Amino acid sequence: MAYSSETARRAFLRSCAAAAAGLVTSGPLAERLLAATVPLVDPEDPEVPNEEVARILKRVSGGRPIRRGHVSLDMPLVAEDGRVVPVIIETDLPMTAEQYVKAVHLIVDHNPDAHLAAFYLTPALGKVSISTRIKMKRTTWVRAILETSSGDVWAGYSRVLVSLNGCG
Amino acid sequence: MMTLKIGEARIKVPDRINRGDLITVNSIVSHPMDTGFFRDAEGDTIPAYFIKQVVVTYGGAEVARFEWTSGVSRDPVVSFTLKAEREAPLTMVWTDNKGAAFKQSVNISFAST
Repeated sequence: MAYSSETARRAFLRSCAAAAAGLVTSGPLAERLLAATVPLVDPEDPEVPNEEVARILKRVSGGRPIRRGHVSLDMPLVAEDGRVVPVIIETDLPMTAEQYVKAVHLIVDHNPDAHLAAFYLTPALGKVSISTRIKMKRTTWVRAILETSSGDVWAGYSRVLVSLNGCG
Repeated sequence: MMTLKIGEARIKVPDRINRGDLITVNSIVSHPMDTGFFRDAEGDTIPAYFIKQVVVTYGGAEVARFEWTSGVSRDPVVSFTLKAEREAPLTMVWTDNKGAAFKQSVNISFAST
């Protein structure tokens, strides 16, 4: 899969930030370095998927492009207890017999079971508004991937800071 | 929910429903949702024990199906919308990874006015 130059640039900047953070393990200098590098990375951009997440994304999308939009993944910015993290997934996509959302996949990048849940839906629901509570191991991106009856794949992302590991 | 025994479930729908309403269905089932990563006080692994599937039927027709892992929190809650188009039972069946199935139903009936 070919990355756009923009994606490659972001990945490179991110690895720079990680390297800088790794060189200096603690102290105010590390904070200054991090503060200096973080603004270069789009805070709305999910991290480049790791091997397992990439495999899950490929499976749920069937290789079709995953576009960002139409999905609202509402999660707290900070989850103090990783054992109970609320999730609300909504979309403005139609839910009619002709055109509907047939699946919603919830993926938590750094969890032991990254493909946390799948919700298979029908037009009888009238709307997509699913809420539940999940466990999170550590600070990471969460992805909600929607598949429509016409084969489009839409995604919404959310980054959650986890204070207490909820996975053991 | 802690005092309930495993598999006890509740489904909540609005008290007053009119035909065609988009209603919110709230559900909860009592289950430990053990991941298999934790150990007990003796140091023995607590085996994975979780709800892996939820099937929702409305008037006998399957309207939704959820596939879960142990990543869903203890005593799983899930809420979703439903288009109340006919008076019929709404049934949910939670099945865990040991094969036990837990069932709960509510009747969707319309306000008489």
